[in-house]
Amino acid sequence: MTVTADRRRTNRSPYLLLIPAVGILVIGMGYPLVWQVVTSMQEYGLQQQFGKPAPFVLFDNYLALAGNADLWAVVARSIAFCLLTAVATLAVGLLLALLMSAVGRAPRIILQIALLLAWSMPVVAAMTVWIWLFDRRRGAVNYLLDLVPGVEMNRFNWLESPTTFFIVASVIVIWMSVPFVAFSSYAGLTQVSDEVLEAAQLDGANGRQRFFGIILPMIKPVIAIVFLLQIIWDLRVFTQITMLQDAGSKSGDFDLLGTYIYKLGTKSQDFGMASAVSILVLAITIVLSWFYIRSLLKEDES
Amino acid sequence: MRRRIIVVAAATAAALVLAGCSSADSPEESGGTDITLWLNGGDTPDELRDYLTSEYEDATGGTLTIEEQSWTDALAKLTTALPDADNTPDVVEIGNTWAPTFTYAGAFTDLSDMYDELGGDALLPSFVEVGSVDGAEYALPYYFGSRYMFYRKDVWEKAGVTVPTTLTEFNETAAALKTDDQSGFYFGGEDWRNGVSWVFANGGELAVKDGDEWKSTLSDPNTVTGLEQLQTLFADASLAPVTESDSTPWVNLNNNETTGAPEAATIIAPGWAHWSIGDAAPDPEDPTKVVNTWNDAVFGTFVLPGVDGGVAPVFAGGSNIAISAASKNQESSKELLKIVFSDEYQKMLGENGLGPANLDFASSLGDDQFATALIESAAESKLTPAAPGWAAVEGSGLLEEFFGKVNGGGDVEELATEYDAKIDELING
Repeated sequence: MTVTADRRRTNRSPYLLLIPAVGILVIGMGYPLVWQVVTSMQEYGLQQQFGKPAPFVLFDNYLALAGNADLWAVVARSIAFCLLTAVATLAVGLLLALLMSAVGRAPRIILQIALLLAWSMPVVAAMTVWIWLFDRRRGAVNYLLDLVPGVEMNRFNWLESPTTFFIVASVIVIWMSVPFVAFSSYAGLTQVSDEVLEAAQLDGANGRQRFFGIILPMIKPVIAIVFLLQIIWDLRVFTQITMLQDAGSKSGDFDLLGTYIYKLGTKSQDFGMASAVSILVLAITIVLSWFYIRSLLKEDES
Repeated sequence: MRRRIIVVAAATAAALVLAGCSSADSPEESGGTDITLWLNGGDTPDELRDYLTSEYEDATGGTLTIEEQSWTDALAKLTTALPDADNTPDVVEIGNTWAPTFTYAGAFTDLSDMYDELGGDALLPSFVEVGSVDGAEYALPYYFGSRYMFYRKDVWEKAGVTVPTTLTEFNETAAALKTDDQSGFYFGGEDWRNGVSWVFANGGELAVKDGDEWKSTLSDPNTVTGLEQLQTLFADASLAPVTESDSTPWVNLNNNETTGAPEAATIIAPGWAHWSIGDAAPDPEDPTKVVNTWNDAVFGTFVLPGVDGGVAPVFAGGSNIAISAASKNQESSKELLKIVFSDEYQKMLGENGLGPANLDFASSLGDDQFATALIESAAESKLTPAAPGWAAVEGSGLLEEFFGKVNGGGDVEELATEYDAKIDELING
């Protein structure tokens, strides 16, 4: 690198400038995290909430979780849900981004406004409308499907079986996160220079080859970070699931990790165990995002 | 011009000074302590709320703020707010089935010293019991309700059936009334609060105390008998989703606005549901809304009959009321309780269709069919187990899950054993 040793030694200001941000992170996230680790090693129920001393049980909570088949079913379901939803979100978002760069100014602006409206819609309001759409009696979805000849969808209850429940949940989550992916990818696409694409075209590359051979590698950093964020968001999805459960079933078959922890902690008042599951979710998040961190490290090395 | 500016300036200065005075004066003027009361759902009508706030102000000079919590979130909010002295409500309404858990945990103030003053032995005993630990009273009854049946006289008449006198007769009638578009008896598969009546009626229990420990008794033979009856009834009489738990069943008893026919011939609901049942007509005050007015020719009530006739034990609805132990305003909170348990307020509860905590005022419920059905069904009603961990059991959703699986056609005995084990882990707190 070209930075001289002298300059490196004297320039401390970047580190000074980092202090507020790091300080806020430590206070804002470190404190609850430490607290959570401590609680996860305690027997902490409602009586402890009201001041009784909490006995330390070390790893008993974790051991109990390891043998809990319900939990592992929820973990498997959550990971499957988050991966499928994140991939679908990415695919739809990317297609919309390509559409945005392909169409003219007016349709693009209409598309962007539509996406922004979806993005800025408060979750609870959007969920209320989605639940109406999928209502078994008066929902627009059933009504429209019923119009198709040969399809009998009147009174079909989408929220009755876990499979259709999670399809609905996935559609809603995708709808809510596609705008973010679309805008980020579109921003990435604008950075792909026209000259390179023109040169490739002159060399005889067709549309598909240009996309996979040139565009995709060039916007890969954007895609990677967006995909990572989607995975993290979809793993801890809570509001959508809990509101669908209110409209459907309270049964554990409809739980993902977020609602599982909420039921365990706030509703069944077993805060120790709920903290242990939260730590587990943190670990899963780190494992799932490892591919990204590794690629970052690799880039640093090169 | 200049003159005008001076006038404006003077006026502004005067306004500032006056504003300063008034803001400095107001706390002294009122003098009392401001407290907060949490009520759940819309069960307490506005008239009663207004009474509480104005009486509290008259009695103490302070302001009473009433904050309404939704029934679904109340348990979680109480869990997090009650221990926190800075954020706790001072007085709380608490679902009767949650009272034992919070009482055992030490969430409430001991009210034994004012128990007699507030009504003593005249207070509904089963509700006092769930709010007591070791003979000291912490959470007192607030109001009670009960569930009874609402039915469509026109549909029943057309099918040629009459009001049943035993539970078996009811089950058969409900099955006979079911058509492809109409439930004979509409209830959700996960709706354990209503479904449990069949368990109670057959002598079953959800849990019993064995020595010092509570044990879930879903696999008790009597409980299983009740659950099997319920399973058959759900399959034969109800078109409700197996995943439905808390719902608004009365909408199914009213005519569907598109088909002009009801979706259910019979429902079970808390007594106050009758305000929502009836012939639909545009609201005279707001033509965009529809109001339902009870019509005796079309709608009727009866009490769920027991196995051998008489009255089946239904789930006793209602609430307790308590002072948060963490509250900094204990004395003022006690003042509020005195208002709640005053003769006047107890009468008002009854007049609004809520069973008054003080049974001396039960007559204020009146003697119409709703009051009669309420009193009759409440007399036999049962509470959920007074176990320290009962709120956790309810919060976990295990009962919804269990009843849903039973009504979904699962093997009752197998499921009962499985869920007994799950509930036993939570029930002792």
